[in-house]
Amino acid sequence: MNAIQVPAATISRDVIVGIARLNKSFGTFHVLKDIDLDVGRGEVVVIIGASGSGKSTLIRGVNGLEMYQSGRLTVDGFDMPTEADREIGGERELARIRKGVGMVFQQFNLFPHMSALDNVAIAPIRVRGHTPDEAKANALRLLERVGLRDHAHKFPDQLSGGQQQRVAIARSLAMAPHIMLFDEPTSALDPEMVGEVLDVMRGLAREGMTMMIVTHEMGFAREVADRVVYIDHGRILEIGTPAEIFDRPTHERTRTFLSRVLRH
Amino acid sequence: MTTVALRWVHRNLFAKPFDAALSLVVIPLMAWAVYAFAYWVLVQAHWQVVGGSFKVLMTGIYPADQLWRAWFSVATICAMFGAGLGLSVRPGRAALTVVALVVTLTGVMVAVAIDAHSGMLAAGSAALGVAAWCGVHRSALDQRLALSGLLAGVVAIFVVLSPPGFDVWGGLLLSVVLTIAVSILTLSFGILLALGRQSRITSLRLISTAYIETMRSVPLILVVYWIWIIVPLLAPDTSVPGLLRGMAGFALFFAAYVAEYVRSGLQAVPKGQIEAARSLAMSSWTLNVDIVLPQALRVVVPSLVGQILDIFNGATLVFIIGLTDFLRAGQMILADPQNSGRTYEIYVFLFAVYLAIGGVITYASRRLETHLARGSR
Repeated sequence: MNAIQVPAATISRDVIVGIARLNKSFGTFHVLKDIDLDVGRGEVVVIIGASGSGKSTLIRGVNGLEMYQSGRLTVDGFDMPTEADREIGGERELARIRKGVGMVFQQFNLFPHMSALDNVAIAPIRVRGHTPDEAKANALRLLERVGLRDHAHKFPDQLSGGQQQRVAIARSLAMAPHIMLFDEPTSALDPEMVGEVLDVMRGLAREGMTMMIVTHEMGFAREVADRVVYIDHGRILEIGTPAEIFDRPTHERTRTFLSRVLRH
Repeated sequence: MTTVALRWVHRNLFAKPFDAALSLVVIPLMAWAVYAFAYWVLVQAHWQVVGGSFKVLMTGIYPADQLWRAWFSVATICAMFGAGLGLSVRPGRAALTVVALVVTLTGVMVAVAIDAHSGMLAAGSAALGVAAWCGVHRSALDQRLALSGLLAGVVAIFVVLSPPGFDVWGGLLLSVVLTIAVSILTLSFGILLALGRQSRITSLRLISTAYIETMRSVPLILVVYWIWIIVPLLAPDTSVPGLLRGMAGFALFFAAYVAEYVRSGLQAVPKGQIEAARSLAMSSWTLNVDIVLPQALRVVVPSLVGQILDIFNGATLVFIIGLTDFLRAGQMILADPQNSGRTYEIYVFLFAVYLAIGGVITYASRRLETHLARGSR
């Protein structure tokens, strides 16, 4: 026997988000049912499913915007407080987790009273304690990266939807997150602006950013995803490589869903 | 030119028979009223009474040999107002010309009414305000810095004015200083109340709600009077000056209204803003101070300025606790048998000053609104 052989358990991927038997309800409506999902460092996981299936709720749970009642959710090794924990505080723990998790919303949610530059620089200044000068220099670099350096001093209402979403991505990146969550980032965009946002996301994937993406852009999902998760009525029905899910779905439901979204 | 004027007259005053009839009745009436008033103001009125009692109207019974303290306050208030304008309004050539005219006119009027020395001081204070306006605008001062400047100004006024004792403050100076101080107090207390009313902590929420609802269901005079009589009961050994007790009453009362305005502003901030701030790991403090409140306050600026006007006009009520505000100072002058025939002069003067100050505040608020509307809602 070779002495340096490593046991299988320790070479398992470096898990950044660990979800185990997670359950969440809004009142009597059971949104997430026994979700099990591990996301490895550097992995791109795309979550698909019909609207109302719970996919947004799932990724919003990863930075604590949604609370869960039972199960376990760890991010970066920190345990996400449950709903019961948060009754008695827990905002501080949450903030610790959130520092490592970036989130991009469907509606961009840029701060309307700040320029693009300030939108990107504010969190590093107030949360990480960077000096305004270094935060702004870094913000300019990030805006350059998303192709908006020339728009740094514009206010959100002077930018197109696609530009706003790219500023929002830069704003999340400014906190140097370990993982980025995208909640339908292109759903509120005019069709001609979808490409510019997807391009930025492609770039992130290439650089090895860990990402969880909820999207209806199936072509994009097939291209960038390491794994695709299909959620149906709050349950993970299938997980697999894009080829497995898109070309050889095992469940009838997945097949129906895909035939509906891929027809156009 | 004439045709344009004729067309305007036709369209606006004589378009329909009823309009024409109305115009024929109202226009001569108004013309007569304006003429009669102007004739009275320019020919019949004895304005010497205003000039002669100017010191009392402006400062009440403030010691005459300590008036430099009052002038210091006037200059500080002008500078603060100018700085405030500088943050939001560009000092354009036209605006500056108008202001320069008004400044000169004020200086001349004060010089004629009292003496050249006071005229110079008045014009100098106003000029300081204009300088602050231009200077602040040019330097693109940070808003936080401006806020601390404002606070420092108010503290300086209190420190400089207080040595002769709070009980001798009076006249327009009292009304204005009271308004500024109470506005700042109410705004901060009101914001805290509004946040308290939305708090997740139940006791805080209940207390804030109860406070706001109670204050909103009682009259201002009651609160002012009540604070005035309860302070000596609570602290029998100390003597809190009537002015401070009055200010406390005003602040406690108006804070409830401010809280409600702010709450409506808070509710206007979309939930997505809070989620975005939370997802960036912002603390509740940062979230409120940097993200939510700026957006909430922007929505309610008109209401808050209306509130400042309410405070200024309501300040006339401090006479019930024995203070001599501007209106009361005017009545004191009329109480002197020597001036008994000058009722109209005094009241017209009071009216004009209240109108001018109210107008300036309203104008400033409109400009502030436009300024804040930059960026999307």
